[in-house]
Amino acid sequence: MQYAIETLSLTKIFSDWWGRDKVYAVDDLNLKVQYNEVFGLLGPNGSGKTTTLKMLLGLLYPTKGRAIVLGGNGADPKINTRIGFLPEESYLYRYLNARETLDFYGRLFGLPGKVRKMRIEALLDMVGLKAVANRAVGTFSKGMARRIGLAQALINDPDLLILDEPTTGLDPIGTRQIKDLILKLADRGKTVLLCSHLLADVEDVCDRIAILYGGRIQAEGKVKDLLQQASKKQITTAGISDAVLERIKQLIQNERVEYEVTSPMDKLETFFIKTVVEAQQQAKPTSGVVSTTEIGGFLMQETPKDILDKLVSTPVSQAAASGPPTTQAVVPAESSEPEPDEQLLSKLTGSAETARPKPVAPEEKVETQPVEPKVPEREQVDGDILDQLTDSSTPKDQDRKPTRQDKSQIGDPGDA
Amino acid sequence: MRSVWAVARNTIRQAVRMKIAVVFVVLLIILLPLMGVSVTGDGTLKGRLQTFVSYGLSLTSILLCLLTIVVSVYSLTSDIKQRQIFTVITKPIRRFQLLLGKLLGVVLLDVALLVLFSAIIYGVAIYMPKFYDSIEDELVQVDNEFYTARASLAAPEVDVIKDVDETYLRLKQSDQLPQDMPPSKIKAYLTSLKRLEKRAAEPGRELIWEFNNVEPIDPNGSLFIRFKYDVSVNPPDSHVHSQWFAGDYRQVRYGDKAETPIYETPVRRDPVRAFREIEVPAAAVAKDGYLAVGFLNVPINNTVVIFPLEDGLEVLYKADTFTANFVRAVLLILFRLVFLACLGVLGATFLSFPVAILFCLVIFFTASFSGFVLESFDYLTENVSSVYSYTIKPAMKLLPQFDRFNPTKFLVEARLLSWSLLAKVVGLMVCIKSLLLLLIALLIFSYREIAKVVV
Repeated sequence: MQYAIETLSLTKIFSDWWGRDKVYAVDDLNLKVQYNEVFGLLGPNGSGKTTTLKMLLGLLYPTKGRAIVLGGNGADPKINTRIGFLPEESYLYRYLNARETLDFYGRLFGLPGKVRKMRIEALLDMVGLKAVANRAVGTFSKGMARRIGLAQALINDPDLLILDEPTTGLDPIGTRQIKDLILKLADRGKTVLLCSHLLADVEDVCDRIAILYGGRIQAEGKVKDLLQQASKKQITTAGISDAVLERIKQLIQNERVEYEVTSPMDKLETFFIKTVVEAQQQAKPTSGVVSTTEIGGFLMQETPKDILDKLVSTPVSQAAASGPPTTQAVVPAESSEPEPDEQLLSKLTGSAETARPKPVAPEEKVETQPVEPKVPEREQVDGDILDQLTDSSTPKDQDRKPTRQDKSQIGDPGDA
Repeated sequence: MRSVWAVARNTIRQAVRMKIAVVFVVLLIILLPLMGVSVTGDGTLKGRLQTFVSYGLSLTSILLCLLTIVVSVYSLTSDIKQRQIFTVITKPIRRFQLLLGKLLGVVLLDVALLVLFSAIIYGVAIYMPKFYDSIEDELVQVDNEFYTARASLAAPEVDVIKDVDETYLRLKQSDQLPQDMPPSKIKAYLTSLKRLEKRAAEPGRELIWEFNNVEPIDPNGSLFIRFKYDVSVNPPDSHVHSQWFAGDYRQVRYGDKAETPIYETPVRRDPVRAFREIEVPAAAVAKDGYLAVGFLNVPINNTVVIFPLEDGLEVLYKADTFTANFVRAVLLILFRLVFLACLGVLGATFLSFPVAILFCLVIFFTASFSGFVLESFDYLTENVSSVYSYTIKPAMKLLPQFDRFNPTKFLVEARLLSWSLLAKVVGLMVCIKSLLLLLIALLIFSYREIAKVVV
């Protein structure tokens, strides 16, 4: 159980009608995705990205080799409980409305009614479709359908999120939102496998990438390692006086290297989002998506024990249950929630260096949040239990940044 | 189980919202009451009722059968074709659960629609006498011959082996056996000849049938002798004169003391090759359930009267209520629908929508005419039929025989559709054949690749 996803010389050959080998869609693929990693699978059209995903999930059977997902078979319902999957297009039942769609998928996960309702509302809020929740999905534009597709992939609060071209058809705000979401989920210890040919998106969120061509991995590694021009340096400052600039130039000239001084451009994405947000603040009417930058409450929040137990049938050990409830607002049952494995976390963050902001210490949390037990307590947990816990549920990162979004969700009924 | 239910709900929603079910429902809701008003049958109240119930149930049955095929096939094939199955099957649901969910949805839809429409038909049938100003005689007639469920006893097969052996021996001794025929053929020929003799009456002769286990539920009610004539020479007006008797014949034969009355009809005149019924008081049945029926070919006929082998003569008596019989008839339709739902799901697991529909329709119509087809094989010449009897015949036997267990047949003739017959049909058609279909479907679906290969 070292990797969230591991493929062992995975091969898919498509044969023609006579059974003769025709196309190697995926050829001897050895992919390793670690826990708590955002992994990007890149490649031009027809390079075998989607075929790989389908084999991971048991929609296609490999000709040779094997795929291990979360330590098991990707077609096994027990494993499926912990996976969220967004296919290359949101294939939805056209006759259901948005809320019914999510309800249907929630039922497939066997979520109890109360939890289902709470999550559906939170997700509809998150993807900005609450206003059109009662409209048939068949009447949705491609981007709106994509948002529902994303919402259905998140309804089970998955440990592993498999996204196939998540941003196609989305407006820049939606794209930004998905990217933020991916980063937030990764912060919480989730693993994300992203499959795309939109390089900008991948660059922004992925820790590691692999580039596929002709069903084979052509390059693989950390984004930073692959892209960083280690021989060059860039200095970005606030506005400084010409005199200071001259002195810096002087210093660089002394080094006898070439240099260039410009004002950095705003990315078009940033500008676009700024403009739309301003329009939203003036409350201009729209028939489309009302975007928020908020992330569904339950995805960011510790879920009460009873729900979680249903999702991941973890044997809750007494040793791990030592964390005392410190706030009145929290359900007492939450105290017996399995605590994350700090060692694993540090190992993971160590191995997969990210551009994400470092998590803030638990003491800095917002008042009403449950204060988590301190690190030393966690370290008392013996090895076997740790293995058990990590076997069935990935560690959750309770250390969260008290951002604006977080605060705004404190009053959200979905949180409790 | 939750996921099965979720899929079932979704299937019903699909059928309703994609307006597949709506088309059928609207059609039936308009047609059924309209038929209740418009059908006349042969003009009598009984004829009206028979025509209405027969057409109404047949129409409901055939439309629901088509609906079942379409919904069960469409639901799965569209999921695969439009790829919603990608997001469904990657959720914690096993493939067999998905199939069972689809099946459950279709069956639940069927049950709901069947209850609705059979309730309409039942209501119209029950209240029909009140719509028309029926005369007393007609009301009595429909009470006896329609609003009831009558058990039937067919004319018992007469044992002719002894007769045949005697004749054969006599022919052999007198050296009259045909030289070019093997003994087995001669015996078969003699058997059919003797059997015909037992069913045929020359002018002035009489025929007697003896029945055992006649058990009418109401001893003060009536028995019905249902018969059909064939004749050797067609009378000028196609009618036959006859006299009928019913009672305990043993009293006459052995000269015992008369305990039950023997009834005899006046000379009556009936058309040939048409079913007719004679009402006899149930008191004619002896205490041990014995009843003999006698027929006298009145000499003025001047023709031999023959009773056809299959349905020449039956004794009918009331054995259950109309309502109970109607419920069982509707259940019979339901079993048919369950079978078709399994068939549709099976077709959808490996065929595309149009092909699967064609596949199901072919099986449905073949099953609807299987009796006719099987019968027609028997008329083929020997050489050809041996080919068929090893190829198509076993295949046909595998199919359910919808026409043999046609529910309207029972209701129109007010025949008892007993629980045991129903159980037999259920056991054979639904439990075994449907399960077999479902099993094959599960196997195919569990091992096939869901996604199409796109590179």
